[in-house]
Amino acid sequence: MSLPSTAMLVVILVTLPLAAATLLFASGRQPRTLTLAAALLLTFAALALGFNVHLEGVSVHRIGGWAAPLGIHWQVTPSGTVMLLVTALVGLAGAVYGAGYFLHRPGPEGRMARVFMPLWLFAWGGLNALFVAADLFNLYVALEVMTLASVALVALSARRMALQAAMRYLLAGLFGSMIYLLGVALLYGQYGVLDFDALAAMLDVEDAGSRAGAVALTVGLLAKAAIFPLHFWLPGAHGRAEPPVSALLSGLVVAAAFYLLLRLWFGPLAGMLTFGAGTLLGVLGAGALLWGGVLALLQRRLKMLVAYSTVSQFGFAMLVFPLAISGNREPVLAGGTLLLANHALAKAALFLAAGTLVRASGSERIGQLVGFSGRARWAWLAVILASAALIGLPPTLGFSAKWLLLQTAVSQGAWWWLGIMLAGTLLTFAYLGRLLELALLDPAPGPSPPPVLTPALLVPALLLALLACASGVWAFDFELDGETFVRLEPGS
Amino acid sequence: MRAPPSPTASDPGNGDGLMHPVEITFDALLLFSMVVLAWQGVHARNMFRAVVSFIMFGLLTAVAWVRLEAPDIALAEASLGAGLTGALLLATLGRLAPERRGARRPKVVKLSTLPWLTMGLAGTTVLLAVTLTLPAPGLGEAVLAAMPAAGVDSPVTAVLLNFRAWDTLLEIGVMLLAVIALWSLGQDVLASKPRLPAPALPALVRLLFPLFVLSTFYLLWRGGHGPGGAFPAGALLAAGLVLALLAGAQVPERMRGAPLRWALGAGLFAFLVVAVGLMWAVGTFFAYPPQHASILIAIIEIAAGLSIGVMLTALFLGGEPTDIKGGGK
Amino acid sequence: MSLPPGTLFLLASALLFAIGAHGLVTCRHLLRKVLALNVATTGVFLLLVTLGRSGTAVDPVPHAMVLTGIVVALSTTAVALGLIVRLERRRP
Repeated sequence: MSLPSTAMLVVILVTLPLAAATLLFASGRQPRTLTLAAALLLTFAALALGFNVHLEGVSVHRIGGWAAPLGIHWQVTPSGTVMLLVTALVGLAGAVYGAGYFLHRPGPEGRMARVFMPLWLFAWGGLNALFVAADLFNLYVALEVMTLASVALVALSARRMALQAAMRYLLAGLFGSMIYLLGVALLYGQYGVLDFDALAAMLDVEDAGSRAGAVALTVGLLAKAAIFPLHFWLPGAHGRAEPPVSALLSGLVVAAAFYLLLRLWFGPLAGMLTFGAGTLLGVLGAGALLWGGVLALLQRRLKMLVAYSTVSQFGFAMLVFPLAISGNREPVLAGGTLLLANHALAKAALFLAAGTLVRASGSERIGQLVGFSGRARWAWLAVILASAALIGLPPTLGFSAKWLLLQTAVSQGAWWWLGIMLAGTLLTFAYLGRLLELALLDPAPGPSPPPVLTPALLVPALLLALLACASGVWAFDFELDGETFVRLEPGS
Repeated sequence: MRAPPSPTASDPGNGDGLMHPVEITFDALLLFSMVVLAWQGVHARNMFRAVVSFIMFGLLTAVAWVRLEAPDIALAEASLGAGLTGALLLATLGRLAPERRGARRPKVVKLSTLPWLTMGLAGTTVLLAVTLTLPAPGLGEAVLAAMPAAGVDSPVTAVLLNFRAWDTLLEIGVMLLAVIALWSLGQDVLASKPRLPAPALPALVRLLFPLFVLSTFYLLWRGGHGPGGAFPAGALLAAGLVLALLAGAQVPERMRGAPLRWALGAGLFAFLVVAVGLMWAVGTFFAYPPQHASILIAIIEIAAGLSIGVMLTALFLGGEPTDIKGGGK
Repeated sequence: MSLPPGTLFLLASALLFAIGAHGLVTCRHLLRKVLALNVATTGVFLLLVTLGRSGTAVDPVPHAMVLTGIVVALSTTAVALGLIVRLERRRP
């Protein structure tokens, strides 16, 4: 039996979540069964796509058979496929966890499950549409799907704090979209195209209008990716949401906005990645890295610590831009993509495990968490593995990603950036180490009788963390073969 | 196939810069009022006045669209941008506690005005300077060239439902998502509110409602060759439904629950079925075979139009309509 | 009296954008923030369509983009207003 064609797999990946969500919303029956079936199918489709891309490399698909610039294209790239795969894994894990988590929840459980699942699928569909899109305006609509689904998911925990966080997130997200759309308008006014490849071919690096457009696109996406100083909305939204929601948001939604930055700056806007632009983005990254890291160290509540860690980790990811100013960009892009993948798996695992630990302990305070005992020990194991991946200990995926970036930094003699990367890694080590030390050496007794921890609350986090740790070995073979990114000669 | 309408560009933005002084004066007045209303819409002391200014701003924007030869957008702006958004804003205002409606001065973050003013002026100037230099080649000719195979005569409908149909599918998704998001926040909010105290309204609505439905179908049919189509049609249907709700109508008992949900999902579903069906039949996602394009687009348009009408009404309701006993589904 | 094509509309679009962005940052009341956002978005729409007119043929693509944008803006505004009402109900 041969695998379905790449085009067919892409169609499945982008339409199945929307179809399943609509069906689920309309019929309201069997939310768990239907969602899990869809999630499994999507995961298989993503795996098959990964296999196809490994064999065939980059492929372009015309929607409706219309060629650019009139029609919209999908572009299946190795980096995009990595993101699709990670989305599928986190999506599946989150759906399983959600099914278990809301089952034992006091209150209107039925409503939660009925509303959570369609929103989850919508977010998934939006993400998949983003990772294959190669059209500025199509990205805008897909971004809106993702943002709106995320906001609704945050608001699902109907406490006032969560609603406030959702509102702030919505405003920040809409502000981002508006600025992004301004960028689209400026670039369309200049070139009359929306397609990435057409834009890359026409882009005049010196032109003022194009520069203004590039700045607007970037600022919009920075707001959506919560990059310092536009990060203000993230800790609340991620820290106050229900655990599976936090996992999706921190692991994937922020990463998707960041991935688009990569996609634009290593794609159509590659010519504009000059010393000034790259350094500015790098400085923002350094700010985020330090600010988020220090605040993570100061948090007293588990999920807020993990949320601030996200701000810090994306600051680290921003360092790919100064490293790509000159020289070969391929390893930098590969490193950046793997960093996102590692963060998605590890952070999702961390949030899911955190949710389980909070439930087991009956408290969110780090000082009152139960120790390494009973079934909670499996959640702790996930925390430890995910921490190793986030810090970047060998042989995790985080190590491979950071190694690629460190090598580039060394070969370019970029000592400043190298120093910041090391500082970031140390900070990560510090706040995660503090968490483990506090909780494991000084555990609280926890409520009695202890709440039931079903396998659904333990296994997904553990598997995600294991994947983040185990896929590092494979990652060194990751190649961006044929991904059409511009190479600049050093000094040009 | 009819020949595509010849693009005439008579008017303010184009070409040789020869504009009649009357036109310039009209545009200047229009745009000036828009800017003033926009400012009031954001900063008016009284919240109610702010909202009303914003609605008027929306109506003037619709006029601006007409001046820019964009009748489709004018229709959508008047019905959605000004009409439905206005109704939503007023309803929201009614649901806020009186002291929050704010007869007081809007709090402004304490920052001296000067830097803001300078930055604002500088930003606006830069933006204007940049936009003035844009050559704006556009895709007008590419669209014209492809029109014979589009299956519809209106270029805007062709872009929406054929060339860039994937955008439109996702957009219907955004709308459905907004309904689900609102419903996830809680139950129907309007139900417990007193209706408009206008005695003549119910009779008027009974009289008008068939007209709304008729015009909806007219716009749906017209969308194929002129301004109109699914969105304005849906908006009009929603306007009729919202008016009926304001006049005291209830969502009928047997429509609640599953039938309503299916009606809400129908638009996105029709889109997905056609798009994926074509993938299966033709081998390319969303590729209408030229001989069937018209009929397929018509199917999507009708399903989307009706569904949009219901979705917009649901957005206005702000929550899932439930049984009076409060049982829900 | 002659002006470069679309100058007035571009000027208005820049002003609307500025008013909206300024309002979004400075206003405290959430409802005002939502209105400001809508004003700024209208500015962007105006820019898109004005730019769609300068070519040889009227360009329907920006028209389609703005139609899509209006629907998206309405949907997000509805959710924002819903959140504002819910927040109001839970005021301590």
